[in-house]
Amino acid sequence: MPAFERLTALFSTLMADDRQTLVRGLRQRDPEVLDRLIEQYQYRLFRYLMFLTGDRERAEDFFQETWVRVLERGQQYDIRFKFEAWLFTIARNLVIDWQRQKKMHSLDALMDENEGPGFEPSDETQESPLSLVLHGEVQDQMQTVLAQLPVANREVLLLRFQEELQLDEIAKIQATPISTVKSRLYRGLADLKRLMAGGAA
Amino acid sequence: MSLQRDAMSHARAEELIARERVEGISAAEQVQLAAHLSECGRCAESAGATAKALRALRTLHVPVPRDLARRTQFRVRLRAQELQLREPRWRLVWLASAASWLFGALTAPYVWRGVEWIGTNAGVPKLLWQVGFGVWWALPAIVAGVILLIENAGRATDRDSIL
Repeated sequence: MPAFERLTALFSTLMADDRQTLVRGLRQRDPEVLDRLIEQYQYRLFRYLMFLTGDRERAEDFFQETWVRVLERGQQYDIRFKFEAWLFTIARNLVIDWQRQKKMHSLDALMDENEGPGFEPSDETQESPLSLVLHGEVQDQMQTVLAQLPVANREVLLLRFQEELQLDEIAKIQATPISTVKSRLYRGLADLKRLMAGGAA
Repeated sequence: MSLQRDAMSHARAEELIARERVEGISAAEQVQLAAHLSECGRCAESAGATAKALRALRTLHVPVPRDLARRTQFRVRLRAQELQLREPRWRLVWLASAASWLFGALTAPYVWRGVEWIGTNAGVPKLLWQVGFGVWWALPAIVAGVILLIENAGRATDRDSIL
């Protein structure tokens, strides 16, 4: 067996072992496993929640609540799927529940692609909460651009190009057909490109 | 004709530039696109703009609040302890429900006869004593259901106060 294939096989075995350990830890509600997961995924989950809510304090609340849900529903994690996809689904559902409580029908309603961002504060003289946590010149531009994108498109851009998730994984998280994910990605990418080049929203 | 072919290839190139990023393109399409980009400044610029936008998106940094992980770990551990304390109680509830259901199933024929005798002697309408028997039989499930509802309502209140 060539060295590369042996390495790939070893890597796959290690990954499978890792997932088995993860599943066992989640089922047993092992605090050590959860501590490690929180450390490992803190940046990615917080970034995702910031993209969804655009609000630092809310993102912090949802971050904590997401992990409590992971603890409570650990036995529901399906080993066939990536842990981060399951984690983001939990986080997303919490945001949707919260929106529903605020008399919204769903995150999709909030994120209607023709309706604009929705989450961003309407007062233009006030700095958006999203902007408070993003720094740097390019980052400033990117933050301005992102604030102009509908939340659904912003979310798919993050999941595809930052999290590098597959289209079917994104579809599962968003509970939408792959065709919808694709169209959101194409539209989001085109908007991102145009806005980065200085075009109007 | 030539103009039309050029316009088509620009559109096709734009499509491939986006598709390459979103869902990927075949090796043949990659070669086709590379050949077009080496000749067409406009499309090369567009491909560059796409790459630049995605690079900026990928390098976007969102600082995580200090102590957020530690605070979360603390909260999760508290919740884990709480669940651990509740677990034996839950086991007891389920055990009691199972025992009750088993006892109910085994004694059902006798209870039926008993309820029938009481109902007939007391002059209670047939439908009423039959419903009474049904309620008696479903009692363990009703009690377990009520406990679950109370438990969930309590948890929902906890969550509302957090968010």
